[in-house]
Amino acid sequence: MKNPSIIIKGVWVAIGTLALVAFPLVAPNRYVVHIVNMAGLYILLSLGLNLAMGYCGQINLALGAFWGVGAYTAALLNTHFGVPIWVNLPIGMVFAGVVGALIALPMLKVRSHYLALVTIGLAETINIILVNETWLTQGPLGISGIQMPTLFGIAIDGDERFYYLILTCVLIGFLVARQIVRHRIGRSFIAIRDDEVAAKAMGVNAAYYQILANSIAGVYCGAAGVLYAHLNTYISPDIFEFKSALYVLTMTLVGGMGSLAGSFVGGLGLPITQELLRGIGNWELVGYGIAIMLVVLFFPGGVIGITRRLQESSGIRWPWARKPTVEPSQLEEPNVSGP
Amino acid sequence: MISVNNIHTYYGHIHAVKGISFEVRQGEITALIGANGAGKSTTIKTICGLLHPREGSILLDGAPIHKLSADKVVRLGVGLVPEGRRVFPVLTVDENLDMGAYHRSDQAEIAKDKAQMYETFPALKGREKQLAGSLSGGEQQMLAIARALMSKPKLLAMDEPSLGLAPLLVKRVFEIIADLNQQGMTILLSEQNARGALKIAHQGIVLETGLVRFADDAASLRSNAVIQRAYLGAG
Repeated sequence: MKNPSIIIKGVWVAIGTLALVAFPLVAPNRYVVHIVNMAGLYILLSLGLNLAMGYCGQINLALGAFWGVGAYTAALLNTHFGVPIWVNLPIGMVFAGVVGALIALPMLKVRSHYLALVTIGLAETINIILVNETWLTQGPLGISGIQMPTLFGIAIDGDERFYYLILTCVLIGFLVARQIVRHRIGRSFIAIRDDEVAAKAMGVNAAYYQILANSIAGVYCGAAGVLYAHLNTYISPDIFEFKSALYVLTMTLVGGMGSLAGSFVGGLGLPITQELLRGIGNWELVGYGIAIMLVVLFFPGGVIGITRRLQESSGIRWPWARKPTVEPSQLEEPNVSGP
Repeated sequence: MISVNNIHTYYGHIHAVKGISFEVRQGEITALIGANGAGKSTTIKTICGLLHPREGSILLDGAPIHKLSADKVVRLGVGLVPEGRRVFPVLTVDENLDMGAYHRSDQAEIAKDKAQMYETFPALKGREKQLAGSLSGGEQQMLAIARALMSKPKLLAMDEPSLGLAPLLVKRVFEIIADLNQQGMTILLSEQNARGALKIAHQGIVLETGLVRFADDAASLRSNAVIQRAYLGAG
């Protein structure tokens, strides 16, 4: 007899796959697809931040810079040499990954909020380079005329077709991230995040994994950058300012720091909310600030943390939830008498 | 086994350890005794590679280790039970033990050693899947000791293992340390609880303000009038 939970899971997967594949066909208009495409890129950025910050504790506000490195790599290679996205994607990921590793070197010397300051400074440096080195980047004018990709002679020339490319990248990005967090690297990240001294005492080479975490964040953001450049066909430095890092930080915190599902909740949820609340203009920054404060103060696990708490207190099992590792009863009465 | 030669360790400008020398002999318990700020923890951290001495040397079986990073020192066989236990709160008990075996790759042996740990520390038995953060203080201390043993150390360095535990548990921790030593483990024990430590130790090193004040076998220290007055609470 088959386990009913496997059947239920299968049904969920089937419904999910169908919805994902059919989305551009049933979407009311191209603009909606564009929003979802951007959300896909934000999910990639958020996954990168989540691995570095949520799992390894490396506060990193230089994401916009990594994103920009990927986008500018693709834009320059494409407009000057006609390099297609399929080649730009790995190159942009490697470039941004190297920048992530280099940025991590000065980060090793500092902790917590100083880490945030160092990364803001480094991100600003890269942004100033993008603005001022006009011989290379054309400065604030940006770079236009980036080609949309073709695959086997089919032009991926609109948001609807690009959607499938982004979907594929997000799925691959998620599966890779899941492998990372479930295995040795993820275990090392969590150990460093929770107690760096204890992690070192266990034999974890903390410096190596901290550099690796930031480099992985760079790779994810680099991929998002390359996709963004080829999707938008035009890029300019203002997209990659500090504001974008704050945006990704907000969505990851609200979704759930330290949970890959949180990146999906935040990455989809925040752009959609933003669309619904269009017209509030710069007040959105105030909104991010308030959202971050509320989450940090009251819901440290974000939306995912809330669903987990509900699950533990009510016994409801969400279809995507893993088996709880602690029985609530154990949490309530720890054995104080000891052995 | 370990010889510490005239080490000087600083926290920034603060000169915490001012030239300490001693030997940890194979198969023995060596107790580092002293008040708060005497330099016990600093000495242990320096041996484990979490801090580096500005002067002096530390030799493990004759090979210098004082310039190595902590992860390399662990690989060479120095396991640490850190001050304040420092188990990984969001990992399960089982995963904490896996972290202890971090640098080992012999999966079959690791599984065997883990099973052994649950035998040695019955407090952990049946709690394999429980988050370490939800254990009581005493259980966390057992887990911290088990976790350090999972690295198969030649020397087990323990930093204040009795700190913050109920008297009954303190007694139990000292029993466990003595048991481990009976089974052949060499132990370096830093303790404020001088009475308990000197009862199970072979030799004692008394530190005061970053210097060695006394170094002798534990029995002599126990009968030393100055030590009795300052550390053992005798009139």
